[in-house]
Amino acid sequence: MHSEVFSHVDPAPVAAKSEGGLLGKRVGVQSLFCVQGWPCEGGSRALKGFVPLEDATVVQRVKGEGGVLVGNTHCSELGLGVTRDSAARAVAEKHVDAAFMIDVLGEARMAAARAGLFGFKPSWGRISRFGLTGLAPSMECCGILAARWKDISAIFSAIASFDERDPSMVVPSELVAEGAQTGSGRNGMVAGFFPQSLERLSSEEREAFSLALGELEGAGVTLRQVEMKEFHLFPVAHQVIASVEASSSCGKYDGVRFGHRATGAKNWNDMYVKTRRESFGLLLKTFLFQGAYFQFENYAAFENACRIRARLVQETRKFFRELDMLVIPTQDNARDAFQARSLKELYSAFSCTLPANVTGQPALSLPGLYRSAGRDMGLQVVGSYLEDEKLFSLADRLVAHREGSA
Amino acid sequence: MTQGFQAVIGLEIHVQLNCATKMFCNCPNRPGDEPNRNTCPICLWLPGNLPRFSQEALEKATLACLALNCQIQEKSAFDQKVYYYPDLPKGYQLSQFHRPLARNGWLDIVGEDGNSQRIRIQKIHMEEDVARLVHEKEGRTPVSLVDFNRAGTPLVEIVTEPDLHSPRDAMEFLRVLRTQLRYSECSQCSMEQGSMRVDANVSVRPLGRDLLNPKVEIKNMNSIRHVGDAIAFEMDRQVECVRGGEPVVMHTRLWEPDARITVPMRGKFEGPCVPDPSVPPVVVEDSWLQEIIQKMPEMPGAKVERFVTRYGLTHEEAQHMSSEREVSGYFEKALDHEAPPRLAAQWIATQLLPLLKEREVSLETTSLDPGRFAGLLFMLGREEINVNAARDVLKRLLESTATAAEIVDQCGYRQVSGAEELEALVDRVLAENPSAVENFRKGASKAMGFLMGQAMQASKGKANPRVLKELMTKKLG
Repeated sequence: MHSEVFSHVDPAPVAAKSEGGLLGKRVGVQSLFCVQGWPCEGGSRALKGFVPLEDATVVQRVKGEGGVLVGNTHCSELGLGVTRDSAARAVAEKHVDAAFMIDVLGEARMAAARAGLFGFKPSWGRISRFGLTGLAPSMECCGILAARWKDISAIFSAIASFDERDPSMVVPSELVAEGAQTGSGRNGMVAGFFPQSLERLSSEEREAFSLALGELEGAGVTLRQVEMKEFHLFPVAHQVIASVEASSSCGKYDGVRFGHRATGAKNWNDMYVKTRRESFGLLLKTFLFQGAYFQFENYAAFENACRIRARLVQETRKFFRELDMLVIPTQDNARDAFQARSLKELYSAFSCTLPANVTGQPALSLPGLYRSAGRDMGLQVVGSYLEDEKLFSLADRLVAHREGSA
Repeated sequence: MTQGFQAVIGLEIHVQLNCATKMFCNCPNRPGDEPNRNTCPICLWLPGNLPRFSQEALEKATLACLALNCQIQEKSAFDQKVYYYPDLPKGYQLSQFHRPLARNGWLDIVGEDGNSQRIRIQKIHMEEDVARLVHEKEGRTPVSLVDFNRAGTPLVEIVTEPDLHSPRDAMEFLRVLRTQLRYSECSQCSMEQGSMRVDANVSVRPLGRDLLNPKVEIKNMNSIRHVGDAIAFEMDRQVECVRGGEPVVMHTRLWEPDARITVPMRGKFEGPCVPDPSVPPVVVEDSWLQEIIQKMPEMPGAKVERFVTRYGLTHEEAQHMSSEREVSGYFEKALDHEAPPRLAAQWIATQLLPLLKEREVSLETTSLDPGRFAGLLFMLGREEINVNAARDVLKRLLESTATAAEIVDQCGYRQVSGAEELEALVDRVLAENPSAVENFRKGASKAMGFLMGQAMQASKGKANPRVLKELMTKKLG
């Protein structure tokens, strides 16, 4: 079955279990998540006809907790950007209670913000990536979208335990050690905001953002202005590193074992070239070319980007000695992620969400706080690395506060 | 032909580790099985799968590094070595390019001049093997088939410094390296079966100069002998180039064993190496390393010295007995059963091993346990039997479960050493061969050998040759 929202729907969805923390919760996943026996085509000819042999860990855990897998939502090619993504729509139109999206640039938060939903990207290493067919392993995470905040926290706790099938996950002992280092012994919530993230907002948007900050204060959050002079370096570091990783990740799309295979090739090399030419769309091709350029022709630039990334991670962590979170708009009206058809437009539109992908920090886009031109813009709070739960208590507090004032 | 020139040789040696599973999944590490039997979504690199680094591979690789005197790095990491070829279905090979497992090793070899020479090992890194390509014909159409059994097999790559200067030294180095690695039991190291593969980087320079000229990489040698031959050929070829004024350019050549020449293969392609975010860094904790060090056996160098000082073997005998772990094990077990040490060393090397080889069994699989073997040597040492009889008894020992003493008694091999008994025998032989006696007295010493042979025959091989000779000399003198 196929629809505008789903690329594949289970004709008779049932819960695999009759008990568990997600009993009866309907969940949709992008067609980038492996579900045993379902097509996993990731919006690309490169994956045409590919049917995974096993469930992704997140899928398996949803099923294990009594959740119901409804179907695969459409996505942009291999999850890059949101132009063709239907995960948020599946939630907004109530086909599902929650949806999983790979968040590599901020796609999950962006789609949630646009649709007036909660969108959460966990810390890198907290959720298993086993069974995700993404592009940039060091940047991406399984993002969660839902209309109700409780659904996000319930799903997170159902899927976030250690999985030996993803050795890049943070092991539980490290989790405790890291958590003990930062933010301890502070009562209350201190949130930082920085002018560099507001520079490109219109005056109306700035006003709206100030109102949103006011709401936070109303909920008992202390605000503090900070400076992040190197904010402009996040997109650069992200683009260089993610494109290189994507170039490697896409090496497996050769048309030999699965996916589209070109016909009429003279030899294997010709077959690879033709297959890849026919498999990938323009935006992804541009991205892959760029990655290959840094890999083959300008490795020094890649190394620089890695150094810059390490510095940005260090700098950002410093803030969190005195802050519990950073508040950043998820998007602005001038740069529409849903219309981004070039890498330049893409990186411009996601410039406020991708820093959390670069640093691996948890980030949450909250609906209803930051509205402009009649649209929900999404207010993003970025938490301290591996302290996802702390972000949850802020969200709990805000939701309670707003329900109380409503 | 290469007079006035010196070769500069560095070796890159790939060694397949004898792990039970592949490096990043639980598939059996048996590349020789029916094609594509040992595969799974991880080693086929189907979308969504993540590599899971095997602790066993780390352990075997660490043994290899220790056997080659390397410094194990506390932290090492896997990179993606990017290239596109049908034997590599994900487009990159996981290999520790930037941060290898170990650095700064060495092996000592005995150089051509008889002096010990230290060959430095630059680094040892782990990597996964790639799939095997089989080129066949379906009817008249050439086809290439891919067998993924080998994809993901754990390897270490050993990179030497360019410290070798002759084909002979390169071969000697490889023999020492193979012995060391086999001792640590991390690999079978068979070049014939592909569990050890050697690429040689060769350049030449005028004798006495320090410069490094562009090197040529040679591949496809499947024995240590071939490595030597290929290097020798390549030296000649390069010297000829230099003399002819033709520059040597960096490239890769293939050894053709039938024609015994190297031929150009392809322009050297260096793929980029980018860190892999999905494989966490490999951390070697000191406590774990100490455990592995405990597992290391006594290595050949130490063993040779001990055999010389403790058992009084000659250096050469000690080397023979240390060449392989199973040989030294057998030797020492025989000594536990009171075999005379030097006799044991000589008989293992010159009698037992050749007999086993004929019968296509090894010291590990033979039914002749060291205890029964020692029994034979014990009797030989006490002159209860002579050498000829002992050779026969050894053959019989291999075919039965009886002890040496039982065989000797049953078959009447016991040596006759009694002077009275032998004196009668000697008298008879001398009386029967007057012309030989005459010849001996005229100074033909050869005649003694003839007379000894006759006497030995008359005793049906049982006479004690030492006593026999004494008597013979006395009677003739």
